[in-house]
Amino acid sequence: MLVLLKKEKKEMLIEYCVERFGISKVIFENYQLYEGSKNKIYLIKELLELRFIPESSGLCIFRFDKTPKPTTNFLQLFSADISKNVLDIGEKDLINYCKGNDLQVHSGSNKIEPGFIAIRYNNSIVGCAHWNKITVRNQLPKSRRCKINYY
Amino acid sequence: MNKQKQITLQTRIAERYARIVDNKDEFSRSINQPLKQSFRINSLKGDTEKILESLRKYDNSISPTNWYENGFTTNLDNLGSSIEHFSGQIYIQELTSMMPALSIADVNESKRIIDCCAAPGSKTTQLAEMMKNKGEIIANDNKHSRLKALRGNLDRLGIVNTTVTLRDFRSFPNTEADIYLVDAPCSSEGTIRKKNTIKRNLKEKDYERFSKIQKGILNRACEMAERGDQIVYSTCTFAPEENEHVVNSILEEHSVKLNNINIKNLKMGKGIKNWKDEKFDSEIEKCRRVWPHHNDTDGFFIARIEKC
Repeated sequence: MLVLLKKEKKEMLIEYCVERFGISKVIFENYQLYEGSKNKIYLIKELLELRFIPESSGLCIFRFDKTPKPTTNFLQLFSADISKNVLDIGEKDLINYCKGNDLQVHSGSNKIEPGFIAIRYNNSIVGCAHWNKITVRNQLPKSRRCKINYY
Repeated sequence: MNKQKQITLQTRIAERYARIVDNKDEFSRSINQPLKQSFRINSLKGDTEKILESLRKYDNSISPTNWYENGFTTNLDNLGSSIEHFSGQIYIQELTSMMPALSIADVNESKRIIDCCAAPGSKTTQLAEMMKNKGEIIANDNKHSRLKALRGNLDRLGIVNTTVTLRDFRSFPNTEADIYLVDAPCSSEGTIRKKNTIKRNLKEKDYERFSKIQKGILNRACEMAERGDQIVYSTCTFAPEENEHVVNSILEEHSVKLNNINIKNLKMGKGIKNWKDEKFDSEIEKCRRVWPHHNDTDGFFIARIEKC
């Protein structure tokens, strides 16, 4: 069951997107944010009122535990709007990342702040990772991990 | 052994439909030819030209279709392991599967669409893209096991305007919509060029079984629709029992009419007037049959119904 995200939490989330990834507040104006089970936040065009409970609505964009954790789907969808805390990777790292492996410390890692980061290949965001100044930890969900042959 | 079985199946299909196809030799030849992999570009995840440019770095066999700007074919058979597929910039989809969405006259951002048999989400995601991720889509399926693939595809392609439901559409509660898409479960004979999973020894009673399910789903969509609403019915089979016969029964039972279908540059045949002992309403000719030899695709059937 989804409930409309409380105003304070919504503002906190949007502020996080602005501060962390440089995403403009404007992109959220056309959507509604709802909270579901397991602290998951959903981006929805409009929540439909049906005569029964649907299986799912919209796109899960965050998990809100102690801090917000962006989903790979969210970062991919707003790829063009993300300008901060982005780690550009090459072909070898791309294959590793898509398999679900953590990445070796990268030469571009001095431009990113500790926390959740966006992984970019060939100008497109491919997913989410966590940087703790030592390791780039893979945050790709198991269901999305795969072997990439063409890139 | 497998080759022998395949030939038998294709021969059976060629013989069964020899009377209704415009060129039985061409039809027979085409269903024995393998089909190229096809895909659709998802412009919600980037600029179409840039995505194509990226794909062409490792695949110079990509060809556009001349009837849909987002539809392409390739000689590669494993685009599912490409970075563009991973990031939701492309969706691997049969060309014929792209046709129902294109047959709807006015898909736009203000519509509400119910995709009655949505999994795995090929047409749902195509419609969402055509609606620019706006409007409202209800993507329904009756099998829980198939919802995982549907949900996965919606997520991968970045779809936000869709609500997923799990119901047998024949008992779906009344829900208003502008467009109902009934891409019904069928005997899948039209996919013979691609899949070896279609039932090899289909019997007459199998066509009847599918026909009964299809009528049930289409009937429910027609019950729910209000005057002016569109219902698009499609299958990937050649069998008139699952195509013209189903639409004909709806014409008899509901206040509906058929509308013409035109997809620019796509060659399509008319619905047939009779099959075996059954004669259909003359309106049935407005249905469209996509024969494999016409556009080098699978086989397909589409009807565009309007509630009166």
